[in-house]
Amino acid sequence: MIKILTACGAGINSSHQIKTAIEEEMRNRGYDVAVDAVVIKDITEEMLKEYDIFAPIAKPDFGFEINIPIVEAGPILYRIPSMSEPVFDEMEQIIKSINK
Amino acid sequence: MDVIIDFANKIFKPLIDLGAPPMMFIILAFLAMLMRVKPSKAIEGGLKLAIALTGMGAIIGILTGSFAPALQDFVKSTGIQLSITDVGWAPLATITWGSPFTLYFLLLLVILNIVMLIFKKTNTLDVDIFNVWHLAIVGLIVLYYSNNNLLLATLLVLLIGVMKFINADLMKPTFNDMLKMPSTNPTTTTHMNFMLNPLIMVFDKIIDKFFPFIDKYDFDATTLNKKIGFWGSKFAIGVYLGAFVGLLGQQSVKEIFTLAFTGGMCLELFSVIGTWFIGAVEPLSKGITDFMSKRLKGRTFNIGIDWPFVAARAEMWAVANILAPIMLIIALVLPGNKILPLGGIIAIGLTPALLIVTRGRVLRMVIIGTFMLPVFLWSGTIIAPFVTKTAKSVGAFPKGISDSVLITHSTLEGPVEKFLAVTVGRLGSEFNIQNLFLVIVFLAIYILLFAWYVKQMKKRNEEYKNAVQNKSSEKQVV
Repeated sequence: MIKILTACGAGINSSHQIKTAIEEEMRNRGYDVAVDAVVIKDITEEMLKEYDIFAPIAKPDFGFEINIPIVEAGPILYRIPSMSEPVFDEMEQIIKSINK
Repeated sequence: MDVIIDFANKIFKPLIDLGAPPMMFIILAFLAMLMRVKPSKAIEGGLKLAIALTGMGAIIGILTGSFAPALQDFVKSTGIQLSITDVGWAPLATITWGSPFTLYFLLLLVILNIVMLIFKKTNTLDVDIFNVWHLAIVGLIVLYYSNNNLLLATLLVLLIGVMKFINADLMKPTFNDMLKMPSTNPTTTTHMNFMLNPLIMVFDKIIDKFFPFIDKYDFDATTLNKKIGFWGSKFAIGVYLGAFVGLLGQQSVKEIFTLAFTGGMCLELFSVIGTWFIGAVEPLSKGITDFMSKRLKGRTFNIGIDWPFVAARAEMWAVANILAPIMLIIALVLPGNKILPLGGIIAIGLTPALLIVTRGRVLRMVIIGTFMLPVFLWSGTIIAPFVTKTAKSVGAFPKGISDSVLITHSTLEGPVEKFLAVTVGRLGSEFNIQNLFLVIVFLAIYILLFAWYVKQMKKRNEEYKNAVQNKSSEKQVV
């Protein structure tokens, strides 16, 4: 099981769109993933350690190093398949390299 | 217009009599199927809205049930008249989506967007269907105050709608700059948040002119955020404010703990239920977006999404954290305010606009934000009777709670637009010279301020363009 973290302003709208889209697409591609969606403000260094991939809308500056692979998931929100495709491809590559 | 409403009433009367959750379940599922969403997905969406409305009602019941009596005691023991419970944005979004008029305003804005794109009056395709509620609530307020004058509500929604699309175009270069997006990135937003930009810019220009030295004292936002850690998260804030109300309301120790934990729990649960309700609007959003992008094939445009892509900037969170205690103090002393901040105390309805106008200068954001907070508190106070009544009418308010209990959102986006909606609504219910004069003056100031802001933003965007050109010519010299 690959654990992915996504985030947005309230942990309600954008992040849940990303969560739903990633879970659906990665399961279709045959990967076992679980995505959590939280308020970006509430992310701590300890919290990130629990995850394999971080998928924010755009890369944030937390004031600490992010030590897991980052996939910028913003294009998923455009709701246009040809634009979200590269995000899913990048994610698939990383999942393969993690090899869990 | 009246004929249409009469006709609609006859058809929809049996539907309306079912109450809001069943009615919206049927309408939303039907509309999604009309947009060629698969029936199973459409029904899933409709059901999620119905359970979200029911769930919000349950949590509002728990929150007001324990806070309203404590707030009454708080008023008695402190003499401070803060009796309105601040539930934050998620219940208000759900309540607004519980009204069928929201679907009407949605349709109106989709058509407006397509027309503006065709006539090249905007370059933004808005796919953020969910946030239509921010403009829909403005329309609902006009309807509430005008005894359902749909024409006035439609005109005001269209006017602000046009301005929001123009604003989305204007802000694009700033988004590119602040978030290091390449110019090929289409991200922008039409969010109501940023309709406060003109007013914020007035204050920003005053600082430019008279106090430019304050920028020297700016500090790093990420360090502050790191220090705050979990202490600033939703449930923690619910816990403090519950304890705060309990202490000042002179409750027993046991009761203070109960209030603290109830506050924390309700704020968390509002978010959880909020996510059901995003799932509810999702099939409809997808249907509408597919419909729009099919009709606009071959055209490149910017894409309007929800605001949190700017949430990657640490400044907006640092400022939200700093403004929270400031807001609590202002709420206690501000004449005319009746809200005790709770669910809306992290002012995400304000800090994104501060970020974009000041381009991330933290000290300016805090100072200007402090001046903006009263506007939000007053606006939240005046719309409380409307919010409470609408919550009741859509079935998101528990029965058996005293009529004097009011709910609202303390930092609801678009505070100025709420005043405008109330003013326009009053003209609809009582057409006289005084009300007409008020509307004309208010609208004139609102539009002129926006026009001035457009000019300033065009200047800013020109500078961005020149900076890019200079960079590329430097490269050629080398």
